[in-house]
Amino acid sequence: MRVAFALARREMRGGLAGFRVFLACLALGVAAIAAVGMLRSAIAAGLADQGAVILGGDAQMEFTYRYASAGERAWMAARATAVSEIVDFRSMAVTGPEGAEERALTQVKAVDAAYPLTGAVELDPALPLATALAGHDGRPGGVMDRVLADRLGLATGDGFRLGAQDFVLTAILAREPDSAAAGFALGPHTIVRTADLAASGLLEPGTLYETEYRMTLPPGTDLAALQAEAEAAFTGTGLRWQDRRAAAPGIGEFVDRIGSFLVLVGLAGLAVGGVGVSAAVRAWLEGRTETIATLKTLGAGSGTIAATYLIQIGVLTALGVAAGLVLGAGLPLLLAPWLEARLPFPVAFRLFPAPLAEAAFYGVATALLFTLWPLAWTERVRAAALYRGAATGGWPRARWWIALALVLAALVGGASWFSGVAELALWSAAGVAGALAVLMLVAAGLRRGARRLARTRVARGRTGLRLALSALGGPRAETASVVLALGLGLSVLAAVGQIDANLRAAIARDLPARAPSYFFVDIQPGQIDGFRARLAADAGVEKVEAAPMLRGIITRIGGRPAREVAGDHWVLNGDRGVTYAETPGTATVTAGAWWPEGYDGPAQVSFAAEEAAEMGLNLGDLLTVNILGRDIEAEITSFRVVDFSSAGMGFVMSMNPAALRGAPHSWIATVYADETSEAAILRDLARAYPNITAIRVRDAIGRVTEALTAIANAVAWAAAATLLTGFVVLIGAAAAGERARLYEAAVLKTLGASRATILGSFALRAVLTGAAAGAVALATGGDCRLGGDDLRDAGRLCLRARLGAGHRRRRGGDDAGGRAAVRRPSPRRPPRGRAARSPEAPAAPAAVPRPAGAGPGKGGACPPFAPPRLPVTGRQRGPPSCPPSRARARAARRTAGPVPR
Amino acid sequence: MAEPILSLRDARLTLSGNAGPVEVLRGITLDVDRGGTLGLVGPSGSGKSSLLMLMAALERATGGEVRALGRDLTAMGEDEAARFRRGNMGVVFQSFHLIPTMTALENVAVPLELAGARDAFARAEAELCAVGLGERMDHYPRQLSGGEQQRVALARAAAPRPAILLADEPTGNLDGANGQAIMDLLFGLRDRHGATLVLVTHAPDLAARCDRVVRLRDGRIEGEDRAGLARAAE
Repeated sequence: MRVAFALARREMRGGLAGFRVFLACLALGVAAIAAVGMLRSAIAAGLADQGAVILGGDAQMEFTYRYASAGERAWMAARATAVSEIVDFRSMAVTGPEGAEERALTQVKAVDAAYPLTGAVELDPALPLATALAGHDGRPGGVMDRVLADRLGLATGDGFRLGAQDFVLTAILAREPDSAAAGFALGPHTIVRTADLAASGLLEPGTLYETEYRMTLPPGTDLAALQAEAEAAFTGTGLRWQDRRAAAPGIGEFVDRIGSFLVLVGLAGLAVGGVGVSAAVRAWLEGRTETIATLKTLGAGSGTIAATYLIQIGVLTALGVAAGLVLGAGLPLLLAPWLEARLPFPVAFRLFPAPLAEAAFYGVATALLFTLWPLAWTERVRAAALYRGAATGGWPRARWWIALALVLAALVGGASWFSGVAELALWSAAGVAGALAVLMLVAAGLRRGARRLARTRVARGRTGLRLALSALGGPRAETASVVLALGLGLSVLAAVGQIDANLRAAIARDLPARAPSYFFVDIQPGQIDGFRARLAADAGVEKVEAAPMLRGIITRIGGRPAREVAGDHWVLNGDRGVTYAETPGTATVTAGAWWPEGYDGPAQVSFAAEEAAEMGLNLGDLLTVNILGRDIEAEITSFRVVDFSSAGMGFVMSMNPAALRGAPHSWIATVYADETSEAAILRDLARAYPNITAIRVRDAIGRVTEALTAIANAVAWAAAATLLTGFVVLIGAAAAGERARLYEAAVLKTLGASRATILGSFALRAVLTGAAAGAVALATGGDCRLGGDDLRDAGRLCLRARLGAGHRRRRGGDDAGGRAAVRRPSPRRPPRGRAARSPEAPAAPAAVPRPAGAGPGKGGACPPFAPPRLPVTGRQRGPPSCPPSRARARAARRTAGPVPR
Repeated sequence: MAEPILSLRDARLTLSGNAGPVEVLRGITLDVDRGGTLGLVGPSGSGKSSLLMLMAALERATGGEVRALGRDLTAMGEDEAARFRRGNMGVVFQSFHLIPTMTALENVAVPLELAGARDAFARAEAELCAVGLGERMDHYPRQLSGGEQQRVALARAAAPRPAILLADEPTGNLDGANGQAIMDLLFGLRDRHGATLVLVTHAPDLAARCDRVVRLRDGRIEGEDRAGLARAAE
């Protein structure tokens, strides 16, 4: 080994001149991965550093559809130094005179005087929040996002209404300290005092709202212990705990997922670079043939020689990786001020060793993977090469194959480990390997075909063509490395482009064609007839679907805990919409029988057929569904087709009406109407029923598209690094062949070829290689269903992080998000896929009437329907949630009937 | 009678090429005595260099037997042959084949380092001084003339004190004066170290200095001249 080191040191005196491509490829790939990792860590650190500010307190107890009970309030008061109550719900902000109102969806945050416990609300003009909310001229004050004020044409001092309550806009909401943790919202925020909503009619039975109790805790409080204590004390009450240790899990999860995806795109870039690395090393070693043969003549064994060159490659790899790390770490640090100003959550830029180590690992493993094969060639160089050129022979010995396999396993294993999405990493690796294999075959085919074609009549008399074909098919042609580098680079680009196009097509093109115009939620039972009547009279309305809706959690299946039976199926993740009906209506019953009309026996439930199959449910199984704290045990008596792909309405569970008799609930409706009729429908219904919240699907789709654009941009940047690497490889390949081309040109000129003939021949060979690589890229890059699915998942997470299923983040994730990228792609998954499906239809809330006198913010509400306090296991959830990919992918194949779940 | 240091029995070498197999050596039987000098002569393509490469174990015979110092070279793999050459054989080529990234001193030291000699550089220095390059030790091959490069190659071949020195047209790339100097050095080294010398040459005066000359044609031994006979023929 000592000799190998000495030989390597002497060999390296030649400098780095021949290794520019090697170093550039490696540095670019490592830099891209390091930069993504640095940004991801910076966001995680920002969220961790600012946990309390983001959360709005040290810890938070959250409830759905109710205020904290007296016991819960007492518990908090005993442990916290300060408590702040926040009520969060969707509503419509209205302005303008009667008959000419403007309406816009808003996420209302009703706060008390203690809000915010940490940080400060920044307003424009710069008023204290208390002053702004105090209002003037007898009207309470409110502040709202600028986008909402602009949409309604409001300026400070103007009035607006929430439900039946008038407010005056006193300031524009410039920054909420807890906005990052607030998750996503389909509507921009409005902040008012909770007490001022007493007369609004908005927090009536049937309204879906959430309450959050933020606490400032004494220094040194053990958060884990306190959480355990709270959860033990309030088991089954629907309590959800959150604290500053993970203030914005939704963002964290989203950033993690999209970061992993980008790292994998970066890895594909590194693979492209690997082709350049491999070509550079091969060319370098070929230039060392004489030295290798001489060393063998002098008695050097192949082990010594391989070690000599491996050491040199190691040094070069270290240099390339170091350059990449400097670049990858330096760029985010340099751009920190610019990035901080543009990201909607705190980011703490500093040097993070972990992502740099990850990038270095990828760099070293890739360099090793792509240099082992050329290195194995040193063993095949025979000493006889000194007097008889190109004396090489045979395949590399077994040890090289083993080493290759080990490095490949380490690389793929590392990618799986680091990314946290093993399946995606494995499929990505398989994709890159498959693309490389196809490209190698194509390159070999191109060479063989060119050789043959050069001898046929086609090339006869066409000097330029024949020269090009001979050059492509000749020995030592750069055909293989160019096809590999260009093909793989283009494949990655094509894949990324395809994913982006699929996403946009699914969301912006396919969905609107099938989606309803509006979702209406919070329709009170007494309002549904009038609601229907207004729509029935409208010729522009094509279809109206309405259904009563409650929310329930499946806690047990056949008497066993549900998760034991059906694992982590999305239906079990939190609460699901439950409806009731006398008849199946338009639904297709696939098995069993619907209950007879007027049935009043033991509870029965009809379950979504596809989901039932996934969960392993059978007819006759008993489901225990916790609705508003009460366990209802119902027998599955039928399965029916439910399509979640059409952005319409759909319920996983439908029960016989008697089973839910007396349960407070509201209605949900979807309205399919001409675009021209939409404004009038909204105006009339909102005027007649101010408490109803309308969600315009086109607006929601617009928000989704915005979010997807951001993701697509991030991916495009990562892909750009891949393309840049591809260019470097091409330049390297071109440079490597330059001497040969000059020689060839000189000989051809000597023989009488014109410059045009020579240039034409060179251009033709470039076109042929490029066309071959491009064809493979179209074939392999276009098949990107897995990536598309996972990006869609990332998109959903993004939505949750940015747009806000309102309540979602506080429930610690949603149906599909937690398992988004861990799926096998369906071989025949249609392009529309899961993204084509809207979130679960906005949850029509179960009614939660407060006892007389228990006004908003006073707490202590105890729903009359829920006397027994049976455990409410799992995390309750409110509205939109996407079904998991596989289920929805299958559902997407159908086109019938709409849904919430 | 002492065992020959090199022994070939019906040695054959067939190379495969695009145009089909080519029989380069067609049954060579030859013994080389320890301490002797053997010249291999013949027209281009007669198989001289290939025969030398068989003797150096740089090429493996495709038939017959090749033994050196009692070892069967045809049974050796590439690495085993390399290890065998370390201490037993020195090879000099017409094109010098110095390692371009190493100085003259380092080039000479390489075989000694590979053999694990602790005093590799001291011995290399001495060897370079012996060929008259004491002042050019730190020069790279490209900074040396052809004659100087071949002297470095000679020093490198002789440094490990091999029992067998094999030279493939060592003066082929040199002018007359330089060629003569290299010849003197080569035979001087052989005399000093008592090695067996086998050289391929086209130069009659160089062949004439050998104890024995074997003439090859079409891969076969055409004839042989003993010392004195060759000189007389001259």
